[in-house]
Amino acid sequence: MKLLKDIKNLLIGMRITGKHLGRHAITIQYPEERWEMPERSRGIVVLLSDKETGDLNCTGCLLCMKACPSAAIFIDAPRDPETKKRKLLTFTVDNALCCFCGLCEEACNFSAIKMATMYEFSEPEKEGFLWDMKKLQEVGLDVDYIDTRKKKPAKKVPKPATDSGTATDKIVPDTLDSDAKQTPPAPEPDKPKEDGE
Amino acid sequence: MAELRTEEFTVNMGPHHPSTHGVCRLILTLSGEKVIKIVPVIGYLHRALEKICENRTYAQCIPVMDRFEYVTAMSCEYLFSNAAEKLAEIEVPERAEYLRVIMLELNRIASHLIFYGVTAMDIGALTPFLYGLREREGIIDLFEMTCGQRLTYNYIRIGGVSKDIPPQFEPKCRETIKTIREKLNDYEGLLNENPIWLVRNKGIGVLPADLGIAYGVSGPVLRASGVKYDIRKDDPYSIYDRFDFEIPTRENGDCYDRYLLRLDEIKQSLNIVEQALDALPEGDIKAKVSPNFKPPAGEVYARVENSRGELGVYIQSDGGKKPLRVKMRGGSFNQLQVLPEIGTDCLVADLVAIFASLDIILPEVDR
Ligand code: SF4
Ligand code: SF4
Repeated sequence: MKLLKDIKNLLIGMRITGKHLGRHAITIQYPEERWEMPERSRGIVVLLSDKETGDLNCTGCLLCMKACPSAAIFIDAPRDPETKKRKLLTFTVDNALCCFCGLCEEACNFSAIKMATMYEFSEPEKEGFLWDMKKLQEVGLDVDYIDTRKKKPAKKVPKPATDSGTATDKIVPDTLDSDAKQTPPAPEPDKPKEDGE
Repeated sequence: MAELRTEEFTVNMGPHHPSTHGVCRLILTLSGEKVIKIVPVIGYLHRALEKICENRTYAQCIPVMDRFEYVTAMSCEYLFSNAAEKLAEIEVPERAEYLRVIMLELNRIASHLIFYGVTAMDIGALTPFLYGLREREGIIDLFEMTCGQRLTYNYIRIGGVSKDIPPQFEPKCRETIKTIREKLNDYEGLLNENPIWLVRNKGIGVLPADLGIAYGVSGPVLRASGVKYDIRKDDPYSIYDRFDFEIPTRENGDCYDRYLLRLDEIKQSLNIVEQALDALPEGDIKAKVSPNFKPPAGEVYARVENSRGELGVYIQSDGGKKPLRVKMRGGSFNQLQVLPEIGTDCLVADLVAIFASLDIILPEVDR
């Protein structure tokens, strides 16, 4: 009797599996087919350029560098002694250090940095993960974004419902102290200075 | 002819044994096929997460928390945010609390689905693994649509959540709930009465309730031994006291009961998500938190009911922008400690079943 019951239960299991025979596959054939990434997907960090002039939006305010928990962003933007304005010299992101948290994007008040949906950036050498300003700008050229710069950052208008709906106030953590900060990797040619912040 | 004799035999199970879920090494002393001694060796995944947190500002700790227990990263984020909010006495907006509960419960379901698949695979049934992960995919898609990541969300923040849910979230979420409800029948049909599954699980690795309590075991493992203890009910956090749900328990405390209990919990969590979606209010998703968040000096312990038992964090603050001391408590550590007690005197194959049913995750043990 027990044997019959066991066989019956095994058959129930097989029937459930059998239902899936002939169903279409739910997997896709990467890289021939690709998954469409959702709009908010957090892939590689890119720098955004002005849609009209083509210049970088970044003002070198260092907020993203301070917000980064992995110290993956290195910026060199010394203040001009006369105008007291910062001039952006180098902007390097070490993708090997980045943990794709998105805090840099949220810290930026100038629509200058964004996490694009791209996710394919493997490199044979570790040095290849260091992306300099030029490369970050190039990759960011065809990334769509909503420019919020013209308005005062404090009065950011709520974005339309379809966009990425970022919280209206931002957490901009204070700087990582220099003791916690890792020095950029050795092969980095344009090593950023910790300038007076 | 030389005299035949048997000898005890010491082998390493792990650190790269597929059924030790990560990198746990068990030094087994065997007599034939029988296990007579188990010594777990841990630390292979130690990343000094607590120390890392002490070198980060509070906001920067959240991405680190994701790595503490990556199968239910939402719980860890919630835990840390909750602790910081308690310290600084921040009031979280209604809508944010509802969103948090939705995410926490979805994450619990996702974790139990992984348990369902992985446990079955350890015991030798491959099909449930594919089914479990397929349904989990629906939940992960919801997370990705909301916060942009599939595993390390960085979604729950101090004072609220980082982004509001997109408009397509609610219909998709209800659809996922419906699918999982339907598929749960398939899951039960595949394993619950399966004779091989019964032989491998029933009466194996019995954990008596008093032993579990003595070792500080919590969560589903303890509830499967008949102890009705769930932090969501016993020490309600967030807005769990507003929802109508049961705490399922089982009596026998064996591998089979631990398995059944997790399926029961999935059903309860689905109910909670549904209730939260129905009652989701409009409003802010984040309280105003100063960019240079500095909680007052003091100490706090926060705890949540995770899919692997009590998850706790102790934060000591000196009033600075970084925590002075962070100490984590994960349920897996206690579950691993109890393994030598309930795993000795069984067969090696049963040890695999017991290890799987305890649902230990190693990053939580090793920190
Ligand atoms: S926060 Fe924005 S503007 Fe400031 S340095 Fe970073 S990218 Fe540039
Ligand atoms: S995503 Fe996170 S880790 Fe990566 S650069 Fe931005 S802040 Fe740093």
